[in-house]
Amino acid sequence: MTDREELLDELYGFVLSGDVDQAVGATQKGLRSDIEPTALLFDAMIPALEEVGRRFETGEVFLPEMLIAANAMQGAMTIIRPLIVAAGIETIGRFVMGTVAGDIHDVGKKLCNVMLEGAGFEVIDLGINVPGQAFVDAIREVQPDVVGMSAFLTTTALEFARNIELIEEAGLRDQVKILIGGAPVDQVMVDSVGADGFAPDASSAVRMTKTVMGIS
Amino acid sequence: MTMTPRERVLAAVSHEESDRVPIVVGVSNATGIKMKPYRELKRLLGIEADDEYLYGWPELGTAALDEETLVRLGSDVRGVLDLEPAFVLERNATRPPHADYINSWGSGATEIRPGEWFPMVCPMASATTVQEVEDYPWPDMDDPTRVAHVATEAARLAAENRYAIMATPWLLFPLERAFAMQGMDTFLMNLALHPDFAEALLWKIQERCKVLMGHFLAALGDNVDIIKIGDDLGTQESLMMSPAMYRRILKPIHADYIRFIRERTKAKVFFHTDGDVFPLIDDFVEMGIDILNPIQTSAGKMSNLEELKARWGDRLTFCGGVDTHRILPTGTPDEVRAEVRRVIEILGPGGGYMVSSVHTVMDDVPAENILAMVDAVEEYGTYPIARRGSA
Repeated sequence: MTDREELLDELYGFVLSGDVDQAVGATQKGLRSDIEPTALLFDAMIPALEEVGRRFETGEVFLPEMLIAANAMQGAMTIIRPLIVAAGIETIGRFVMGTVAGDIHDVGKKLCNVMLEGAGFEVIDLGINVPGQAFVDAIREVQPDVVGMSAFLTTTALEFARNIELIEEAGLRDQVKILIGGAPVDQVMVDSVGADGFAPDASSAVRMTKTVMGIS
Repeated sequence: MTMTPRERVLAAVSHEESDRVPIVVGVSNATGIKMKPYRELKRLLGIEADDEYLYGWPELGTAALDEETLVRLGSDVRGVLDLEPAFVLERNATRPPHADYINSWGSGATEIRPGEWFPMVCPMASATTVQEVEDYPWPDMDDPTRVAHVATEAARLAAENRYAIMATPWLLFPLERAFAMQGMDTFLMNLALHPDFAEALLWKIQERCKVLMGHFLAALGDNVDIIKIGDDLGTQESLMMSPAMYRRILKPIHADYIRFIRERTKAKVFFHTDGDVFPLIDDFVEMGIDILNPIQTSAGKMSNLEELKARWGDRLTFCGGVDTHRILPTGTPDEVRAEVRRVIEILGPGGGYMVSSVHTVMDDVPAENILAMVDAVEEYGTYPIARRGSA
């Protein structure tokens, strides 16, 4: 194994095991060794996160392990992201995310953000308790490909329909795909609120996003 | 055969058939009704009663149902609750409007929209060491004002001897308290990153829970039939943590806590745990849990009521099962009746089932559907009940 391969392998392992300090250290070391930021991202961090996602889906790991891996990835991304942006490397899509008004639950949303970013999307997170108008404004300002709305409660899931109505009234519905997520969400809800899809967990969120965007 | 509500409940938890399947509505947050649907219910029924909150706690938003409503809903249980210390209640009652609600643990809720409070004040959010657990100013559980009312209320219900007494001290749940102290994602990460700290925090919380639980049970004496505890362990799809992590860290804490309770009361242990907890049900039985709640049928394998009944129906009483994700908020009254009938016909035969909503009835549930749920129990829950699928 070359030094380069060894370092990428280490970084992969640190993200997989959720060791943020070591992941950051390996990223810095990699950059000092002239490994391209894209290689650190695509050949180490993203495969690690994909592996965590796979293990999560098969029940080999659970929320604690998934959250720490996402945290390690985020730590390393704070170093990599500016370099990728500066290099002008195209992302595969732009995703605006938010937890709807009246709701503050964001564990699932945070995991989706990391998985999406790991898959090559630019993610703009509007945060929690996001008013419908803020989604409309964000569509105008950043022109995302996809808008993701999250709600944990049946009462706040009512905001999905209201927000989609606001987006329609603003004449923006044709410009974006809309995904919804959260505990009470299923296909029945997708159909009733007029969304384009939903995902039951963070790794399927990536697949669903690619599906609605028509990329494989 | 007509039985008193208490006899009905005691039969159900002894896995015997009574006159009908019992109804558990009100009396605790997890089996309760939020204030908005409660008001609608009172209007629909022409009942005039004050808007009172469980635990005297408006920020929780769950109604303390008046007796007339409880009777109309056919609830077979009556509740006994604890209270936050008098000084905490007073401090919160006199704080500036819209300011954060802070409880005796130092955690609390923020009002994100008028009248909507979420647990967002996490005083140990940055803690990662055992020393920080030891240094934290933990609440005084010996404050007598927490349970001063308990003995009298329980004795009154016992003298009446009509309803089963279900006692629910507020959130003496180790994992959920740890979430409240740290934030859910932070504590879940600490379970993986700082297991010694996470375990020390859980044991410390459990120790505080036991002290209050001890006072609460002493005040109840023999005047209690069901004692409610719990911890949310499931998600929509699966468990929050691996079965191995649960068994290594949290199960000994739950088991010790349940042993403590069982040494002090003959009451049945009612364990509330949301989500898909299917892989842990054998553990629940082993720890001495008698009643499992809320049987969240919308989550993973918990939808498989037949298997739940077949595998654990002789050892666990199920309480809950009426879906709050879709059926109660968006179903028609006929759909609610059909679902209650379906659940009763699977879980009801042989006793061991009590009807309740899956967690709190929220603001989006029409009052008509609450009535449809309880009326369906009168209609379809009378024993003998034909097992679903049989002729």
